[in-house]
Amino acid sequence: MLATLATLTALALGAPQQTDTTLPVRSGARLEVENFGGEIAVKTWSRSAVRVTASHSSRDRIEIGASDAGLHVKAEGHRGPPHVVDYEITAPAWMALNLSGVYTDITVEGAQGEITAETVHGEVKVSGGSGNVSLKSVQGAVTLEKARGRIDLYSVNEEIKASDVSGDLTAETVNGDITLRQIESSNTEANTVNGDITYDGTIKDGGRYRFATHGGSLRVSVPEKANVAVSVSTFNGEFNSCFPVQLTGKAKHRFNFTIGSGSARLELESFDGDIKICRPGAVSKEE
Amino acid sequence: MNDQWTDRLSEYLDDDLSSAEVTALEAHLAACASCRATLDELRRVVARARALDDRPPATDLWPGIATGIGLAPGAHPVVSLGQRRARRRLSFTVPELAAAAIALAMLSGGAARLLLRGSKAGPMATTATPAPMPMLVNAGAPGTNARYAAAVADLERALEQGRGRLDTATVRVIEKNLSIIDRAIREAQSALAADPGNAYLNLHLAEQMRRKLELLRRANALAGARS
Repeated sequence: MLATLATLTALALGAPQQTDTTLPVRSGARLEVENFGGEIAVKTWSRSAVRVTASHSSRDRIEIGASDAGLHVKAEGHRGPPHVVDYEITAPAWMALNLSGVYTDITVEGAQGEITAETVHGEVKVSGGSGNVSLKSVQGAVTLEKARGRIDLYSVNEEIKASDVSGDLTAETVNGDITLRQIESSNTEANTVNGDITYDGTIKDGGRYRFATHGGSLRVSVPEKANVAVSVSTFNGEFNSCFPVQLTGKAKHRFNFTIGSGSARLELESFDGDIKICRPGAVSKEE
Repeated sequence: MNDQWTDRLSEYLDDDLSSAEVTALEAHLAACASCRATLDELRRVVARARALDDRPPATDLWPGIATGIGLAPGAHPVVSLGQRRARRRLSFTVPELAAAAIALAMLSGGAARLLLRGSKAGPMATTATPAPMPMLVNAGAPGTNARYAAAVADLERALEQGRGRLDTATVRVIEKNLSIIDRAIREAQSALAADPGNAYLNLHLAEQMRRKLELLRRANALAGARS
């Protein structure tokens, strides 16, 4: 009975099939991959070629379009949208990546170029990237490490994590925590409605930093030699500092203080949660 | 906060006060924490506004206009972008602060980037979404501004029409998160009702309202991408 069911299912979905193709690419080419359901996993190598391996139904066909601009990879279903396709792609480290999916998990390891990765239901996990790095998911966590450039991280219903990242950084979610560690940035903004925000990174002279949440807490590091004007706003929360600060401009729900010359600006806002500043390395959510 | 100097803070920022007025205002600021905080908020709004890009139009319309008004092609009797940016003056009275804040929130930061940059082929492409209109909203006004409410209603109506193109899991996620934002909006409104002059609460409410619009736009873009 089970064997019969398996056979019928295989007939309905088509037999599993593997596509494995390697194509040369020119310097500066971009790789675009579209998927509906499944996975896009990109690794890198030093060759000027892209290898695409795809596990898919025999009813689906993998199409790889090549042009001077780069490669475009997608699946075509026999009738209607394609079934689940799991891509394992190896690309040159320098190659710009544009990856998108619907029910798709996206992972990238070792990339050194621009990355755009967007999915609706699925996680986005990237290690590497430079220039514009934009990672988005509606229902899925977004994780980035070892990237530099202009970073844009977005989720709706899950958490965002970034570590070992340098450059301008924006992180936004509605229902999830935002954890930013080992950040070297002079321009960082993170906000969530229902979640905590942790920032452990630099406060550079002249930099701008803004962290805002409605229903969560903030934990932010301020290095000892920082020159920063800090404004703290909270409606129901409390403010704590791991080191002494001299409050100025104290009004209901709001505090200001300046450390050093105050050339950088740090805005901390939590409607309903506590706000705490500590030294780098001493910031953790559990505190 | 509603003292005689409150409405002069914008002029103070614009260097439009006489030296005697500046001296008097600065003396007042030294003793008025609330006014200092309000001044600080005004500075933040102005700074954010100044940080906005002056984006050039997708197509340069000037050659056609120049021809139409009888100017030689190549003549540019208009000030440069840099000059305009330098001249840009942003004045807000305190009652306008929230209005300015929400208008900026809608046009700047993540919202503007996501709407203006969009994506080429991704599932979150915003091609089905109308461009944002600058809206002036007093975030603290009862019932909020009619244009904001109309924009939300339009997007909700469009989403309802496109709902069939979204799977139930996506609909559930969007509804859940809209409800989280709605709760934040209600809480901010309630807090603001008790403390109407609180600039932080005004800005916070504006931020939550902006987020609701953005999520609705994204949801509509998703529905559009699936059609």
